Amino acid sequence: MIRAVRAELFKLRTSPGPWVVLCAVLAFSALGIVFTFLVAKGAHHLEFVAPHTQYRLRRLMGAGFVAGGVWMGAIVGVLSVTGEYRHKLMTQSLLVEPRRWKLLLAKALGTALWGVFYAVASLLMVGAMGIPLLVTQGGSLSSLFDQAGAVLPGYFAGFALLALFGAGLGTLIKNQIAAVVTILAITFIIEPIIDGVVPNAGKWLPLAASASIAGGLVRVPDHGALLGAWVAAVVLAGWALVPIVVGYFATFKRDVT
Amino acid sequence: MRSSWIVSNSTLSSQVVDPSIKRADAVPIEVRGLSKRFGAVEAVADLDFTVAPGRITGFLGPNGAGKTTTLRMLLGLVRPTSGTALIGGQRYRDIVDPLRRVGALLEATSFHPARRARDHLRMCALGAHVERARVEEVLEVVGLKDSARRRVGGFSLGMRQRLGLATALLGDPAVLILDEPANGLDPQGIAWLRQFLRYLARQGHTVLVSSHLLAEMAQTVDDVVIIAGGRARASGPLSDLTGRVHLAMRVRTPEADRLQGILHAAHLAYRRLAQDVVVVDGVSAEQLGPLLARSQIVTYELVSQGTDLEAVFLSLTGPGVHPPAATGGTARGVGAPR
Repeated sequence: MIRAVRAELFKLRTSPGPWVVLCAVLAFSALGIVFTFLVAKGAHHLEFVAPHTQYRLRRLMGAGFVAGGVWMGAIVGVLSVTGEYRHKLMTQSLLVEPRRWKLLLAKALGTALWGVFYAVASLLMVGAMGIPLLVTQGGSLSSLFDQAGAVLPGYFAGFALLALFGAGLGTLIKNQIAAVVTILAITFIIEPIIDGVVPNAGKWLPLAASASIAGGLVRVPDHGALLGAWVAAVVLAGWALVPIVVGYFATFKRDVT
Repeated sequence: MRSSWIVSNSTLSSQVVDPSIKRADAVPIEVRGLSKRFGAVEAVADLDFTVAPGRITGFLGPNGAGKTTTLRMLLGLVRPTSGTALIGGQRYRDIVDPLRRVGALLEATSFHPARRARDHLRMCALGAHVERARVEEVLEVVGLKDSARRRVGGFSLGMRQRLGLATALLGDPAVLILDEPANGLDPQGIAWLRQFLRYLARQGHTVLVSSHLLAEMAQTVDDVVIIAGGRARASGPLSDLTGRVHLAMRVRTPEADRLQGILHAAHLAYRRLAQDVVVVDGVSAEQLGPLLARSQIVTYELVSQGTDLEAVFLSLTGPGVHPPAATGGTARGVGAPR
């Protein structure tokens, strides 16, 4: 299995899509960092101020989450599976590993690891851009690092599980464009609407679950009820595994003609 | 590109294919009662054949005959409706590290266009537990060493075909299954492929090749399996199949009248097609040639008529030809290695 996962990581490393997505993750992280320093002063005025509250320091550390970069992990999950169909690579992949469950499992694990790579890249962006900004604006580095324990485990888990969720959607929806559009629709239309109309249901949705895992990032902690981190991890894993299992039986096991 | 082929050919026998080495791990391919139905369409019906080690078996059939579906069932990509397709007694999906036992070339489009040729092979090597050095070897064999860093999207069809062949050879497998391997190859490439497959067969490899290039197949294969409409029409050694078809030789001579008298005296059937053309039935070139020489007949042409693979193929798969069950013919297993 380790070999199969390494092969999947090699596939991601040698195709351009995941690198384009990495650029997007870094760009979103950079935006997240900048916006963390901006504080509203009056109706039409923003001021550039070093974050000092616990919540804003967490948001700085989780800049990728805050700006929505974590959803890029979901998109790479989609690319990982649907790319096999789009470029007719499934034939070759199954010649190398004919056991389909093993191929799909390797693909899911490889994608999750790639999601962790994005999390690391996003954090490096925080280091490279956020820390100098924090220091020059008179912020406290020790206060920032104090939030690491509350944010980082969930931060990595959130990226990994959302990448897995993307792989699941890709397994279910073979068409790459349709799968990416579905991810975007869930992020920007479906989840905000459900969250707005039925907040108690909204917390069970993927983005809310990822926010719960990562120490309340993305949402203000006292906004509605967030799930506990472990419950949220199970919920998000469920969001990933259900489409993987359904997709495996619905599409992945089909004849490759 | 030409130099690449020359390099490949020069390294062929010394590095990769040593005819003195016999594969001990070569196994037969056995297809028994194989059928596949896609909805109302019966793509393959009750197919039986065996591909023996040490021989090249041509898998022939018109478009839509079920060749690719059969090969895909053999490789675990399509699930048979019934029957079995085994390689060395195992289903492909049950073979451990299958790329090291079976090399397959199915389509020249199964590459990510943005991936470099060398990376494609490394990716397969990584998943198949094949050492990395082998990637450079197969690139050399197929003449892609100089293009290894290029992205596959910029490759010609012939180059993609060679990359597919390199992928099939990656695990140094004892069994090769190649679907239209000569597609897109230039004449030098086709000649090299023929020579290469012959080398592999002499080493003891089991080689199953599907192709539309009947003249090329006639020069390459030992055995043939001919299918049409999803059913086997014939299988066996090529020489047996061509021998089944009525032999005839076409002779072009300025002495056609004298030749007719000689043929009559020799009790040979003949037809006068033109002033200077006589077709002699039921003889081979080996039989008729000496007779013409002994009789001192001036001969401009002596051509085999209707005895080639194309004639066999057309007679078995042409319009109006019915499956063996309807005509009384049966497909039989390909013979043991000669």
